[in-house]
Amino acid sequence: MPPPIEGAGEGGPAAVPGFGLSRRADLTALLGAFCFFLSAVEYMIPKPLPFMRLGIANLPILLAVEILPLRWFLVLALVKVIGMSLVSGTLFSYVAVFSLVGTMGAALAMWGTKRAGRGAVSFLGVSVAGAVVSNALQVLLARYLVFGEAARLIAPVFLGMGLVTGALLGLFAERFVLGSRWYARALGGEEPGTRPGAAAAPEAAARGGAASAKAPAGGDAP
Amino acid sequence: MRPRPLDLLILAAAAGLTALSAFAAYAPGGGEPVLVVSAGGEEYLYPLGQDRHVEAPGPLGLTEIDIVAGRVVFAHSPCPNQTCVASGEIHREGQWLACLPNEVFARIEGGTDDGGVDAAAY
Repeated sequence: MPPPIEGAGEGGPAAVPGFGLSRRADLTALLGAFCFFLSAVEYMIPKPLPFMRLGIANLPILLAVEILPLRWFLVLALVKVIGMSLVSGTLFSYVAVFSLVGTMGAALAMWGTKRAGRGAVSFLGVSVAGAVVSNALQVLLARYLVFGEAARLIAPVFLGMGLVTGALLGLFAERFVLGSRWYARALGGEEPGTRPGAAAAPEAAARGGAASAKAPAGGDAP
Repeated sequence: MRPRPLDLLILAAAAGLTALSAFAAYAPGGGEPVLVVSAGGEEYLYPLGQDRHVEAPGPLGLTEIDIVAGRVVFAHSPCPNQTCVASGEIHREGQWLACLPNEVFARIEGGTDDGGVDAAAY
């Protein structure tokens, strides 16, 4: 009998045979690198308001909510915080504290929403939940650490931006996973739009009919 | 993509929370609007009707705020990104400017009904 896989029982690909420690580390490292890259891209985009972020660097975390076990998922969130702080030069400042609290709060909110909602929630809802929780926590930090009562004026803009950017990110993630072979393999499926044990999406099924005869058996790292 | 049931619930909850916070933050006050500057643990009030150059102290140094013809801008701040300076001007009740690295926050609020203030710190 093969040894128990670390994290098995948490759901997701940890329960898929062959998804061992090195593969989780590889996926976390790859997604962490994407967090660094998207942090740099986000840093270049002019911000509408001071200390407000668009949140595109959260995309790898959003995608990882179904791929990684909780511990590695939180490691990825921490990598994102460090990466964003390094890129923006705010590692040892209040801004990094805001980023840490916001990102970890968003990560836990995404994780909890996906686990609680299961099939009744898509990346859209998961992303919006994460964005709103992140921004709400940052407003609370601003209220108690920096600006006092005046922080209430920031709240509507922050929450509104979180709603809009979270929704856009979630819609993009939904579209992405429908056509991504890499994501399907990371999740343990064989074709885009599939999940282990689930029926293929109609588009993927139409493409996969010809391709499946040529695809090698078993999933590989990207 | 068709939203799933919980998606709609989460979107509605987020929109409701945003609307509630907007109502709480932007309910109109009374009297003439004043500029409230929060810096260094203190709050300073300035009438918008008088042109003024304000220097607000923070951990990084002085954030310079100009009040000209009822409009407020951050003229300079010692933060590395200068995002607050690039944010432009404010002139209506409820609008705000902030420099997070230097912990300076400026907002326009409805003034008091006792004839306004010249400058006050509390």
